[in-house]
Formats: sequence, structure tokens, C-alpha cells
Amino acid sequence: LDRRLSLGLLGLIAGLASGLLGVGGGIVMVPPLVALLGMTQHQAHATSLAAIVPIATVGAATFAAGGEVDIGIAGALVAGTLIGAPLGARIMAGVSETMLRLVFGIFLVIIAVELLVG
Amino acid sequence: MSGAEIIGLAVAGVAVGLLSALMGVGGGVLMVPLLVYLGETQHLAEGTSLAVIVPTAIVGVIAHRRRGYVRISDGLLLGAGGVFGAWAGARMALGIDAEVLQRGFAVFLLLVGLRLVSRSLRARRAEGEGQENAS
Repeated sequence: LDRRLSLGLLGLIAGLASGLLGVGGGIVMVPPLVALLGMTQHQAHATSLAAIVPIATVGAATFAAGGEVDIGIAGALVAGTLIGAPLGARIMAGVSETMLRLVFGIFLVIIAVELLVG
Repeated sequence: MSGAEIIGLAVAGVAVGLLSALMGVGGGVLMVPLLVYLGETQHLAEGTSLAVIVPTAIVGVIAHRRRGYVRISDGLLLGAGGVFGAWAGARMALGIDAEVLQRGFAVFLLLVGLRLVSRSLRARRAEGEGQENAS
């Protein structure tokens, strides 16, 4: 398959997941970018983040048109994420991640089960 | 919103930013359940989460670009397909009953969580084998 077509299709699928679920869609893009298109983990992560900008913009605008964005809540959260994300990126360099990720994964599974039964 | 609520949300935002950078997952995975937990509907949680992702991702891209990791033309192609998907996905979400949408999100979250668990278990096992081989 043509490389450009593959990228467009992958974006389309990630965009669908993003708009439907309210997430960035990086989790859909990163593994194929590494496995099929030969990017390093860093390149795939950074490139998917670049794609997330237009994807999340269109998704947010579509939800906003339906009256489903709370700008006040979003603004307050952004004030926090703009501090937390670079801080996390800096800490990440010095931490062995596997134990943290195991605990966090279990935490996500618990939330998911709670959402499913609750 | 009261001042305390704004500060509470900003603190939650710091935690979301920290955790998503540390765990390698997007902020949406955390923000949508957080907002639902705070009593917002699934739809408002998803729309608001996407609105937070936009500026956060822009700042992230700028940082990655400085280190030379962003492949701009590939990102543009992904984004070109992505915007159609995002529009269709969001329209679909708006047409779905909140309870059904929430269950769909929960299944997605379950998959993300199980993937993290299996990957970290595999990494631990690989580390252990590496140590055995070394000794």
C-alpha cells in the first residue's frame, strides 16, 4: 500500500476513535507508525501528537457545535496540564517505568469495570 | 464555577499532565472518567476533554520539534485523514445515547489498561531474564 495512503487511512481511523471517545487517538496511531512505517518510538509519539492537534480541534469544534464543551472546565484543566505535562516528561527520564505502568494499568482496568457496572 | 472549583480542576490538570507523560497515555483516557466522576455527562466529558487536548498537544509538539522528533509531512497526512474521522466520530458520538457511549468508552479504557499491564509484565520478565543471563 502506498505510504501516503496508509498514513491518511491510519489518521482516519485514529480520528474516528478520537471523535467517538473524546481522546487524542495516539494509542491508535503510535503502534502502526513504529511497526509498519519504521518510525522510532520517539518519532511516532511526536508525529502522532502533531496529527492530534487538527484531529482534536475538529472533534472539539463538532462537540462544541452540539453544546457539549464546557469552556470554563476546559480552561481550568489546561492551566494544570500545561504545568504537569512538561514536568512529567522531565521526570520520566529518570524513572524505571514498568512497576508504575503495571499499577496504573490495573487502576485503569478498575475504572473501566466500575464504568461498565456502575 | 467557584474559585475553589477552578483551583481543584487546575490541580487535577497537573495530575493528568504528569500521569499521561509518565505512563505514555493520552490525557483523554484520564480526563473523560474524571469529568464523568465529577458528575458531567459522557458527551460533555468527551467534548471538554478534546478541548483540553488541543493546547496541550500544541505545547507538546513544540517541545518535540525542538528535539527533531516530529515528521511534519507524515503528521500532516495523518491529520488530513484524521480530521474527517474526527468529524464523523464526533457526529456519531453526539447521536448515541450517553449510557451506550459510556459503555463503549469503558471497553476502550479496559483495553488500554490491559495493554499497559501486559506490556509492563512482559518488560519485567525481559528484565529478569536479562539479569539471569548476566549472572
